[in-house]
Amino acid sequence: MNRKPYRRELSKTSWFMTHQRYKSYMLHEISSLFVAIYAFILIIGLFRLGEGPEAWEGWLGFVASPIGVILHVLIFVFSIIHTMAWFKAVPQAMRIQRGEEIVPGKLIVGAHYGVLAAVSLFVLILAGVA
Amino acid sequence: METRDVTIEVLRYRPEQDSEPFFQSYTVPCEEHWVVLDALNYIKDELDRTLSYRWSCHMFVCGSCGMVINGEPMLSCKKFVRDFGDKIRVEPLSNFPIERDLVIVQDDFMEKLSSVKPYLIPKEERSIESGEYLQTPAQLKTYKQYTMCINCLCCYAACPQYGLDDKFIGPAALALAHRYNADSRDVGRSAREDVVASHEGIWECSFVGACSLVCPKDVEPAGAIQQTKFTSAIDYITGMVSGGGKK
Amino acid sequence: MEIIETDIAIVGAGGAGLRAAIEVAEADPNVKVLLISKVYPMRSHTCAAEGGAAGVVKDNDTLEYHFNDTVGGGDWLTDQDAVEYFVNEIPKELTRMEHWGCPWSREDSGKVAVRPFGGMKIMRTWFAADKTGFHMLHTLFQTSLKYPTIERLDEYYVTDLMVEDGRVHGVVVMEIRTGKMTLVRAKAVIICSGGAGKIFPFTTNGAIKTGDGMAMAYRAGVPLKDMEFVQYHPTGLPATGILLTEGCRGEGGILVNKDGYRFLQDYGLGPPDPWPRLKAMELGPRDRLSQAFWHEQKKGRTIPSPWGDVMHLDMRHLGEKKINERLPLIRELSRLYAGADPVHELVPVRPVVHYMMGGIHTNIDGATPLAGLYAAGECACVSINGANRLGSNSLGELLVFGARAARNAVDYVKSTEYLNKVKTIQAQAEDAQSRVKALFQSQGTESVPGLRKELNATMEEGCGIYRTEAEIKATCDKVTEIRARYKDVKLEDTSTVFNTDLLQTLELGCMIEVAQTVAVSAFERKESRGAHQRLDYEKRDDVNYLKHSMAHFDPDGDPRIDYLDVVITKSQPAERIYGAGAEGQVV
Repeated sequence: MNRKPYRRELSKTSWFMTHQRYKSYMLHEISSLFVAIYAFILIIGLFRLGEGPEAWEGWLGFVASPIGVILHVLIFVFSIIHTMAWFKAVPQAMRIQRGEEIVPGKLIVGAHYGVLAAVSLFVLILAGVA
Repeated sequence: METRDVTIEVLRYRPEQDSEPFFQSYTVPCEEHWVVLDALNYIKDELDRTLSYRWSCHMFVCGSCGMVINGEPMLSCKKFVRDFGDKIRVEPLSNFPIERDLVIVQDDFMEKLSSVKPYLIPKEERSIESGEYLQTPAQLKTYKQYTMCINCLCCYAACPQYGLDDKFIGPAALALAHRYNADSRDVGRSAREDVVASHEGIWECSFVGACSLVCPKDVEPAGAIQQTKFTSAIDYITGMVSGGGKK
Repeated sequence: MEIIETDIAIVGAGGAGLRAAIEVAEADPNVKVLLISKVYPMRSHTCAAEGGAAGVVKDNDTLEYHFNDTVGGGDWLTDQDAVEYFVNEIPKELTRMEHWGCPWSREDSGKVAVRPFGGMKIMRTWFAADKTGFHMLHTLFQTSLKYPTIERLDEYYVTDLMVEDGRVHGVVVMEIRTGKMTLVRAKAVIICSGGAGKIFPFTTNGAIKTGDGMAMAYRAGVPLKDMEFVQYHPTGLPATGILLTEGCRGEGGILVNKDGYRFLQDYGLGPPDPWPRLKAMELGPRDRLSQAFWHEQKKGRTIPSPWGDVMHLDMRHLGEKKINERLPLIRELSRLYAGADPVHELVPVRPVVHYMMGGIHTNIDGATPLAGLYAAGECACVSINGANRLGSNSLGELLVFGARAARNAVDYVKSTEYLNKVKTIQAQAEDAQSRVKALFQSQGTESVPGLRKELNATMEEGCGIYRTEAEIKATCDKVTEIRARYKDVKLEDTSTVFNTDLLQTLELGCMIEVAQTVAVSAFERKESRGAHQRLDYEKRDDVNYLKHSMAHFDPDGDPRIDYLDVVITKSQPAERIYGAGAEGQVV
C-alpha cells in the first residue's frame, strides 16, 4: 500500500496551550473550582455558626485574615470570569424563538446581566451596604 | 493588474517520500481580489504541479477547501489574501490524518454522518398525491440554521474533544441530527437517540464552543449540541418518572 | 486487475446520480447499485444552483403553460414528448423532495412558496431561499444514506467505459488516493457527471465541471447532441464568475447600463412597467438578456471594470428584510467578492458561461444508443432545453430524468445477464490502465495549465455570445491543434497518492474532446437559434436546422456532425414573444 496517512496527535496534557481560545476555555473551566471553594467556605461558616459564638468568631477571623481576603479577591475575580463565560454561552444553549424571529442573543445575555444587577443590589441593600 | 508578493508557506506531506510533513514556501504575486485558494491555484499552475489540495465551487458552498490558515480552520475560497500580511501559513485541517499535502482523510466523518440517521423519519409515509407536508415559515425557521452545514469539517478541526478522542461523533454530525429532530415533519428523535445521546455523542462535548466560532456558514453546532443535551436530559428524567427505564 | 461486480454503476453523485441511485434502491432492493464519483457527493456542483426548481403547483398555473414556456424558451429545439413528460412529472418529484425533508421556503399557510423566474409566464419556481441546489443535493445525499443497497465509491475517477458487442459492460475506475485501478463490471451504467463549463475561462462552474462523462460516452461512440448551445447566464460577478441567481430579478431586481437606464426595453423585452412582470424585461430568457448586454457593450453603454465591461444589478429597492430572507447568499457573495452590498449599492455583473444545453444523446427514457448506457442531468441531452434552457428547469430535469433513467436501467438489468466475456473486458480494462501508466512514462513537453489556458481563450473567442464563421473556424483549428499537442502532455507529479496533476491531465483530455464538439457543431450550424447566435446567419432557419446536431467521435480527426429530427407534438415553431405580447403574470 502506497498510502501512509500521517497522524498528528493532540497532547493530552498541553493541548489547551495551542490556541488562545482553548486557554480561555481552560480559564473558565478552572473558574468553577473557585466558585466551588467559595461555596465550601460558606458551608463551613454555616457549621461554625451552629457550633457556637466562638467557632463563628474563629471563622470570621479567618475570612478577615490576609489569606482570607486574598482568597476572596481571587474568588471574586474568577466568579466574574465564570459568570461572563456562561452568560455569553446562554443564547447558544437556550434558543428562544418568537414566531419567525429568533430572540437576539444580546437581549438574552443583557437580561441575565440585568437580573444579576438587580439581585446584587437587593443583597447589598439587605446587607446594609447600599 | 497590480500584484503584491506574498509568501505562502504550505505544509507539504508526500507519503511516498516524506516521513513527516514539512513547510515549503512559495512566493506568489497576488492580485487584490484573490482569496487564498487563488494563491494555491497559482502555485499549482505556475510553480509546482505536485501540490495537492481539494477545491471546486469557489463560492463557499461545496465545502471542499477547508484548511488551517494562519492557525484557524477556514475555507480557503472565503478568505482574502489582502486580509493577511506578507506571509500566510496554510496547513491541512487539524485533527484528521493527512493523506497528502493539504488533503486530509475524512472517512471517519463520512461514517459518523450516516450514523446519526440524517434523513427525515416521518410518522407515516405520505403519498405524493396528498401533496406536501404543511410547514409554516416559523416551523421552518426552527431548524433552518442547522441545514446550512456544508460538511467542510472546519468544526472538527477546531474541536479539541475530537482531537483528543476521535470516537466523538463531533459537531457537524450532531448538528445535523438536531436539524432533523427539530423538523416539524420528523419523529425520528428516539431512533437517533442511541447514537446521539450516547457517551460518544452529545455527552462527550464539553462545550468549548470552538466549532461555532470557526463555522463559515453560522450553523452553530455548539448550540445544537447543548439544545440536544437539554431535550435528552428531559427525556431521561421523564423516562425515570414514568418508570420506562429508558437509558 | 481487481474486479468489482454490480448491477448498475452510476457515474457521478450529484443531483441526478443520487436521485437515480435512490430510484434503483426503491425500485428493487435486489438490484445492486454502485455510485461512483470523483468527489464526495456533497461536493458535486448541484450544490451551487441557487434560484429554484420549476414545477406547476399553484391553482393559476397549468402544465400546458409550463410546456409552452419551455418549448418556446428553447426556441423549438426541444423534444416535445420529453418536455411534456417533464412538466407532468416535476411537481411530483418536487413534492417527493419535500417528503424527504428538503427545506423549501414556505407561504404563511405552510404550503411551499414559489417565485418568478426568467421566461416563465406564471410564478412556479419552488425555492429554498437562494441555496436551492445546495439543499436539494444534501437532502438527496442524506436520504440516500437510508438505503443499505446503495454502495458508494467516493473519490474514484472513472476513466473508461467498457463496451463489447454493442453493449456496456461496466467502467474502469481509479481510486484517487491510491491511484489503483479497478474494473467495475456492471450490466448497466448511468452517466450523471454534469456539464463542462470549465472549457471556458469565465464560468459559474466549479473546478470539477470538466465534461468527463460526456467525453467518456463520446469516445465510446455515443454522439453528443446540440453541443453548440452554451448558456451564458446574464448575471455573474466580474473577476470570479460567481453566479448571482435569476431569483435576484425574480424578486424584483433590475438591470441598468452606465446611464442607469433599463436597456432591456430596447431589445424587444419592454415595456418596463408594470414591474415585476413575468416573461418581460429582466425576467426574459437568459439568451436574450446576455445578447442584449453584448449589444449594449458594442454601443459603449456598459461600465468598464478591470475584468471586462459590466452592467449593474440594482436590488436596493427590495429592502434589507426581503434580501436577507430571500437572497442571503447573494448578499454575502456580493459584499465579499464585489465589495457591493445589494441593500445599499449597485452590484456589477456580466454574462458568464453557466450551462451546457447539449450533452450525451439520450431518448426520452434516458437511454443512449449504446445498450445498457443511460445518462441524465446536465451531461445528458434528452432534450428538454433545446437551444436555451429556462432558469429553474435544470434542477427539475435531474430529478425527473435521473429517476426515469434509473427505472429503465433496472428493467434492463433484470432482463440481461453478464456476457461471458470477462477476458475481453479485462483486456480492455488493462488497456485503459496502460494508457494512464503511459502518462507517467511520457517525456512530453506540453504543460497541462498551458494547454488549458489556450483552450479556454480560444473557446471564449470563437464560441461566445455572438459567433462568426471566421472566429469559429479559428477556434476549430486551434482546438484541433491543442488536441494534437495534448498527446505530448507532460505529467510532472509521478506520485500515486492523491495525484491531482494526473487528475487535471485526464480532465483536460476530456475538456478538449468536449470543446471540439462545441466548436465544430457551432461551425456547422449556419443559423441563429437560442444561445447559438451567428452574426453571419442572423435568422433562425427551420427549413435546414430545426434539427439536433449530433457530434460523432473520430479518434484521429475532427468530430463528424450529422442531424436528427426534433420531436414536435403540439407546438409548431413560431416566433418567441417576450415583453409586450407575452402576457406574463404581473407579480
